Amino acid sequence: MRWLRPLVAAVLLLVGLAAAAVLVTRSRSRSTAPVEVPGTPEPTPVPAYLTLFFPGPDLALHRERRLVAESPPTTQRCAAMVLEELLAGSQEGWASPFTWPASVGAVFVTSAGNVFADISPPPAGHVQGTASEVGLVYSAVNSVVASCPGVARVQLLFAGRQVESFGHLDLGRPLAARPDLVAP
Amino acid sequence: MPMRWLAAFFTVAMAAPLMAVTVVTPARTTEVFSRADLIDLLEILRLTGAEVEFAPAAGSYTARRAGHEVQFTPGGSLAVVDGRLQPLPGPIRSLEGHTVGNLAVASALLAPLGWAVHGDVGSGLILTPAGEAAPITLAVTREGGATVVVASGPPALPRARPAPGGLALHYQSPVRLATPLALEGGLSGASVDGSILTLQLVPGWEVAASYPLDDPPRFVVRLASAFPTGAAEVQRSGPLVVIDPGHGGEDQGAQGAGGVLEKTVTLAVARLTAERLRAAGIEVRLTREGDETVALRDRTALANRLRADAFVSIHANASPARGARGAETYYMSADASDPQAAAAAERENAPAETTTLGLILWDLAHVANLNSSARLAREIQDRLNAVHGIATRGVKQAPFVVLTGATMPAALVEIGFLSHPEEGQLVSQPDTQRRIADALAAGILAFLRNAPPPAPAEQP
Repeated sequence: MRWLRPLVAAVLLLVGLAAAAVLVTRSRSRSTAPVEVPGTPEPTPVPAYLTLFFPGPDLALHRERRLVAESPPTTQRCAAMVLEELLAGSQEGWASPFTWPASVGAVFVTSAGNVFADISPPPAGHVQGTASEVGLVYSAVNSVVASCPGVARVQLLFAGRQVESFGHLDLGRPLAARPDLVAP
Repeated sequence: MPMRWLAAFFTVAMAAPLMAVTVVTPARTTEVFSRADLIDLLEILRLTGAEVEFAPAAGSYTARRAGHEVQFTPGGSLAVVDGRLQPLPGPIRSLEGHTVGNLAVASALLAPLGWAVHGDVGSGLILTPAGEAAPITLAVTREGGATVVVASGPPALPRARPAPGGLALHYQSPVRLATPLALEGGLSGASVDGSILTLQLVPGWEVAASYPLDDPPRFVVRLASAFPTGAAEVQRSGPLVVIDPGHGGEDQGAQGAGGVLEKTVTLAVARLTAERLRAAGIEVRLTREGDETVALRDRTALANRLRADAFVSIHANASPARGARGAETYYMSADASDPQAAAAAERENAPAETTTLGLILWDLAHVANLNSSARLAREIQDRLNAVHGIATRGVKQAPFVVLTGATMPAALVEIGFLSHPEEGQLVSQPDTQRRIADALAAGILAFLRNAPPPAPAEQP
């Protein structure tokens, strides 16, 4: 039986070496950083629909769905995006509520769901008549409330200031959406 | 040569923009990021002990301290202070990873949090709790029968709130009267308690209007006698109606295709309507008798002071849509009477004393007037529908400034579209104006016939 001893020792040595090799391989595979596959695409922006309202010849507000390339990441960005799309005009032939070359400035969102949006002001005397004011104000208010979850009211500011009125409507406070102004 | 290099070095060093400014607070002295006249606003705010946090959803910063809150956005020049929007004296910018603004902006952000900044960016800044009272100058003048009080001094404008015997102006920090007060007209005195300036009125006088002015910031309070005739009480045997010819003076309103102005048409129709009502035994006052500028809120204030039974504002419409035509009558938007708006209005006017009872009383008064205003609008529009050649657009609601403060049934009539080629011509013709006036007077009379008897007049 003495002749078996070297044989057993050799087998045990081989088993030990094999076990050590397996452990080393596993630990190496754990520590190795994942290999980046060349050409992995960036995350694709998710398109989204905005709901815009434009005044029609009947002076009612007409709904227009607008596909935008990327879903707005914040309420603030959403409100700004809606107003920018309104300023860009209708793609379905409705009238533009902003009848001067306007742009969107700062946009604030309060925890109560009020949006304050700064718009470059119209020339003096440019907005005439109740119908024009209603179309201008509520196309913006209805569009932002309809498109941006969590928004309850909208106040338009002009050149960074609160404007009491263009002569008719009270623009000195945030206004709620008016579904009754939307064409059936 | 070395002297020239030395001079050049100092020239460059003096002209180079500052990299940091020393800021001293009661607790410590520290260096704050600075470029030219801009300073790091977030660091300055944190030095006062304010909590400053960034809200990714809103894209804005909020600083809170001692129950007050200021919200602002890099890239903007506005701030929301305790839920109320305020313009800032300059823009907030992002610069080298810092949110910066000039000293005036920093001061505007610090004031609501109870802190003040002194000094300048070049020589160093001192931050202190804003304990020292800001001086207020009161200028009192007479304009016709009115007394005008102009309060100037503090950079932040106050909120006005009715007070026993007068009006209280709530400033954001303590104030004091800079000069002795010259009493005039309806102003019997003024007193200061902390950040509240109270104007006391002579008995029988009321606040007709109050509004802010810019550059420099001022707050104007217009006082008027509650009894414009000078009599102890306006003894009325019948109802009183206030007719408001829209626009006037510098405010021309809309312009028709033939050059006709809205302010001219509305005055003509208002005069004709007043004639017809007077012929029916109704007392009538116009908010303007000629081509003069009258502020929107002053028009309603006149009707309130006279305790009129009805207020009717006359306008002519306009639209970029050239086909738009027709007459329509508005009354106050339901939006302005919903509980949320009531609560918001109450918060705006009474930051410290919002009460459930106050909201309930506000709601009751507003809803009662809303129903009567709707009936007044219907009575007028029903008669306007019969005027030949003018299309009907019905009765509608919208938040008109001129209707907002009315304490009686009130309506605004758009008698037709000046921008419509045919209708614009029609409403400028005297014959059509007479027929429109007939319709308006008939509608107002029908409303008054069916109105409930007025409550006994309160003794002042």
